Amino acid sequence: MPLVSETGEKIMEDDAAKAGADDKADGLTRRDFLEFLGASFAALSMAGCKLRTPVEKILPYVRQPEDAVAGKALWFASTCGGCSSACGVLVKSRDGRPIKLEGNPDHPLSRGGLCARGQATILDLYDSERLRQPLIGGGEASWATVDAEVRRRLRSAKSVRILGRTSTSPSLDAAIERMARRYPSLRRVVYDPISSWAIAEAHRRTHGRAVVPHYRFDEARAIVGFDADFLGAWLFPVEFIRGWSKGRRPDQPQGGMSWHAQFEPRLSVTGANADLRAGLLPSQEFSAVAALGRLVASHTGWTGPLPAVEGACGVDQGTLERTAGALSKAGRNALVVSGSNDPAVQILVNWINAMLGAYGRTIDIERPSRQAQGDDSAVSELLAQMGRGAVDVLIVLDANPVYDLGRAEEFKEGLKKVGLSVALADRLDETASLCRIAAPLSHSLEAFGDSRPVSGVYSLQQPTIAPLFDSRPALEAVLRWSGDRSSGHDFIKGFWRRKVYPHVHGAHGFEAFWRDSLQKGVVLADEPRMPAAHFSARAVSSLKPARKPAAAGAFELAAYASVALADGRQANNPWLQELSDPVTRASWGNYVCLAPEDAKRMGVEEGRVLRLSDGARSAELPAYVQLGQTPGVAAVAFGYGRTGAGKVAANYPTVKLFPIEKDLLAGANIRPFVASGAVTLAATDRTSPLSKVQIYDFETDPLLGQKRNIVQETTESAYRLDPHSGNPPPKKEEELWPRHKYPGHKWGMAIDLNSCSGCSACVIACQVENNVPVVGKAEVRKGRDMSWIRIDRYYSGAPGQPQASPQVAFQPMLCQHCDNAPCETVCPVLATVHSSEGLNMQVYNRCVGTRYCENNCPYKVRRFNWFDYAHQDLVQNLALNPDVTVRQRGVMEKCNFCVQRIYSGKFQAREDDRVLKDGDITPACAQSCPAQAIVFGDMNDPDSRVAKVARRSRSYRVLAELGVGPSVFYQTKVRNDSEKA
Amino acid sequence: MKWAWLLVLAAAGPAVAGTGHAPKRKSAQTLRYHAVVPGHRDPAASLDQQLLPQEPLADKVKTPDEGFSIYWPGIAFSLVLLAGMIWAWQFGVRGAPLVLALLAILCAYLSLGGRRYFHLLGNQQGYEPVQPIAFSHAIHAGKLKISCFYCHYGARSSDVAGVPAVSVCMNCHNVVKGMAGSKEPSAEIAKLLHFWDARATPEAATIPWVRVHHLPDFAHFSHRVHIANGIQCQECHGPIQKMDRVRQAASLSMGWCIQCHRLRPGQAPTHWKRVGGPTDCAACHW
Repeated sequence: MPLVSETGEKIMEDDAAKAGADDKADGLTRRDFLEFLGASFAALSMAGCKLRTPVEKILPYVRQPEDAVAGKALWFASTCGGCSSACGVLVKSRDGRPIKLEGNPDHPLSRGGLCARGQATILDLYDSERLRQPLIGGGEASWATVDAEVRRRLRSAKSVRILGRTSTSPSLDAAIERMARRYPSLRRVVYDPISSWAIAEAHRRTHGRAVVPHYRFDEARAIVGFDADFLGAWLFPVEFIRGWSKGRRPDQPQGGMSWHAQFEPRLSVTGANADLRAGLLPSQEFSAVAALGRLVASHTGWTGPLPAVEGACGVDQGTLERTAGALSKAGRNALVVSGSNDPAVQILVNWINAMLGAYGRTIDIERPSRQAQGDDSAVSELLAQMGRGAVDVLIVLDANPVYDLGRAEEFKEGLKKVGLSVALADRLDETASLCRIAAPLSHSLEAFGDSRPVSGVYSLQQPTIAPLFDSRPALEAVLRWSGDRSSGHDFIKGFWRRKVYPHVHGAHGFEAFWRDSLQKGVVLADEPRMPAAHFSARAVSSLKPARKPAAAGAFELAAYASVALADGRQANNPWLQELSDPVTRASWGNYVCLAPEDAKRMGVEEGRVLRLSDGARSAELPAYVQLGQTPGVAAVAFGYGRTGAGKVAANYPTVKLFPIEKDLLAGANIRPFVASGAVTLAATDRTSPLSKVQIYDFETDPLLGQKRNIVQETTESAYRLDPHSGNPPPKKEEELWPRHKYPGHKWGMAIDLNSCSGCSACVIACQVENNVPVVGKAEVRKGRDMSWIRIDRYYSGAPGQPQASPQVAFQPMLCQHCDNAPCETVCPVLATVHSSEGLNMQVYNRCVGTRYCENNCPYKVRRFNWFDYAHQDLVQNLALNPDVTVRQRGVMEKCNFCVQRIYSGKFQAREDDRVLKDGDITPACAQSCPAQAIVFGDMNDPDSRVAKVARRSRSYRVLAELGVGPSVFYQTKVRNDSEKA
Repeated sequence: MKWAWLLVLAAAGPAVAGTGHAPKRKSAQTLRYHAVVPGHRDPAASLDQQLLPQEPLADKVKTPDEGFSIYWPGIAFSLVLLAGMIWAWQFGVRGAPLVLALLAILCAYLSLGGRRYFHLLGNQQGYEPVQPIAFSHAIHAGKLKISCFYCHYGARSSDVAGVPAVSVCMNCHNVVKGMAGSKEPSAEIAKLLHFWDARATPEAATIPWVRVHHLPDFAHFSHRVHIANGIQCQECHGPIQKMDRVRQAASLSMGWCIQCHRLRPGQAPTHWKRVGGPTDCAACHW
């Protein structure tokens, strides 16, 4: 504040004089300084903008490939190589580069859906940290040298072992069998990083056949899951989500809704979607299944032996009775599944299913699944042989046992005694780096292949790009080493001619059949069913659970496969690392989930680094306080803590500038702890904050203290009485501006909250389609995540209120394309404007980055480019979609309803000289959704699917009372309470 | 003292800015023609070779815009003029600063490319670069009346019209080796044959045509929808059938696009199937 007294003026004059003198003393006056400033600025600005357009070259093909048209995508039917589910995919290829995977709607199992991990495999192809050429003893070698060395050693070997993860490829099986005929000492050992061996073992004991059944969730009317995350990462999530969602559509006239109960130690995606959920300890699972089985036995009049309930079952009797009642009511259409790897538990599950008559209806063992073929006993045998030094040649085929085998230490020791160790791997991972020969494996988009995920369903995989590196598919490597020089393509074709073609009806001529199969990607073969097998009751009596309760003071470990990384084979994929978990909403690294009671008792808050120890080894992980988790359980995700996957898996960004970033942990491998089953936790004095994208967990408004109209829900009984239940008519919308006119189309979207399982496939689909960048852990922590669509997770109730099992709702949230969009009115440069078709457009080249729009958006869906996030990695750049601008620093972006697809659909209609019809345009999120929860279309067309859904009684719009007029119509969530009646 | 400062700043300015002046175009748009083409590459070639734009056979083909550039000398001279302006200003020479400033601006304008490249307004109208092969649209489209879609077949089904593959040229030039009535083989066709004959060799390259019509990456133009609406090629590309060397006939500025999109019934040419077009930003910018 200026002084106004006389003395004040005097002081100021003095200061001015002194300042002038100081300037003189420096030899530089203010005037001079300004002159320099002006001159240098002029020089800078003139030199800085080289104002000539760069000369660009157009390089045409020399020889025109068939069907290739510049700028036009070609689609190839293929098979996803992400996991053993082998979903059908359509590969979008632009100018010779695969750039996107979409589900193949003709595939009988995945039916157009594709999970987040499957879609992200496209970036695994363009991973610059893949192994580029074969290595022998760490030195670069050629394939010819490798082949010669391997075959020389194979000829003299007395014992050859091939260790691999489950492969559903029948051709590869045949090739290995052929190799075994040539080298009779060859044995194949199959394991699964997340083993389902107990399911097969239980069926061997109860039905005389070691198979993993094909579960039919689409037939199930009552589903009970015991720690089986079938909507997350258990066995075949895409098919299971699709089947489960069939029973989540209350509008459908026939059948009504299915009922789903989940008993689990931690809150999984599946549990979050259950109608009834109860917590238990992992060691109580056996007694809980046994107790439920005894209740079902009394309902169904079972006369055989009954299992003993060992100790407390953790679930109260009323809940179990409700469950048993619902199961008995559903009868043959009931389905009980368990994710346990204890054969005793699985035998009890088989027993319940057999009592209910589910075999033949919801469980198919006559045409079983081929997905989880891992055999834990064979692995133990192999480890023993390796320890004795009795293995001469070990070929590790597309597997990483040093990381994901429970007994990795034993394996590492044994590996030293193996004569020749060969790893076929896509990168120099934990195992390949210890093997004498490391040979690069082709990506599933680079090679021919085939798959049989379920008996009778055969799918083909075709290459859509020449191998980027000097790699080979597993099939060809096996063929070479068994002395066969035929290509993978020829071998598969020959196999199909002999084994598949004879079983297909209506095919005339193999060549036509082959071409047709390649084009469609999938074939249904009428393979003979395995003979029916009957449940043998002898297995039920005298069962003992494998898992013991933890000692006092220790926690029972519930290690789980997360939706994003599952077993961790894709750990170097930045899209998956940044995909926030649907339940915890955290990304980049794993953490120990604790029940709120335990956290309070230990005095631990979120982000506190805990030392996890099982006596023999320890790891450090940050804590996460998870509502709904059973006290006494520590839940940690698999798949993290990889040391040999690459720099993304090791943490991101790799250059850590600020102290806060140095604290960010990349996660730890939980696999070695699984065997002991119990861990102790000790708090350290450090913290490592989690990168969460949702910090507020409840729908209750913190200021008003009441639930806001964000997720609306009702119960099935209330919905039957009043279709509008849970969906009160919105208050009169106050509108500030006159309404826009939409003379032509008016795009809108409908999202069914009841069938959305939160699987996050849409998030990755959007990221692939729209070149959405990855920002890294430190940036996510600052709330700068870039995803255009996110899945919000809300708990019922209010913060601080203790809840044993909170009700959870998932809500995909994207730009709502408001009719009176608040963002549009505040943009000073008109970079976000309204289109005549109801789109809220973001014009990147006009945006100057004021971020006013972001502040004014009630849905928090606008994303700002704080940096130039575009990949610096040339190889990863190949995955960019050329139809979408790569945004630069300082620009706002957000969902645009896939406007490139809208215009592409319109252009196609005009090219074909027809009117645009409903279904011509499908945004990436709606296309990928395994549950088909998202519908997109023209609201001006009363017969369009989206307009029909929007007129349903369950339809509402989020925050419609603000008068912004959103264009996304959500459908009220309906929880099934019918079993109470 | 003062002038030392000025010199340092004048030298540092371009040096600092010069590091950033190379156009950074990392979007996939510019990678469009660099795809790895199965069957059209040496399988042993490293990924880097495949990813990098293939360099033309430099000794065989002279590409335009390589040679002496007046860029840096021009910049330097304009800076000298600028310094002179400040000098004159200091000594109070009336009128001289203004003249020198105008001279500096003119010099900079010319050294940065003059009218031909002056991109401040994004206007490249009249751009007519020398092509590696003196392909004449006047002969092919004008005299021989070959349909535009014979070579630019993408225009009807794709967003980009596309430049034909060498194999498309060879459909005719397998037979046609020179001008009609002349026994001398044409030197330009010989260049084409060179590319075709080298196709199977490891150093195989393709014709490095210089792009004439260039929209920025944030503007999406679709040929197929314009063709489907009955718009003639010449309405945007000018009298292409008369051009020996392709020249950018229209400014391709947004204002120029919008002119047609804004037309109302009665104003548009009768052969258009639809009058006007969308004027939404999202029609082109996404």
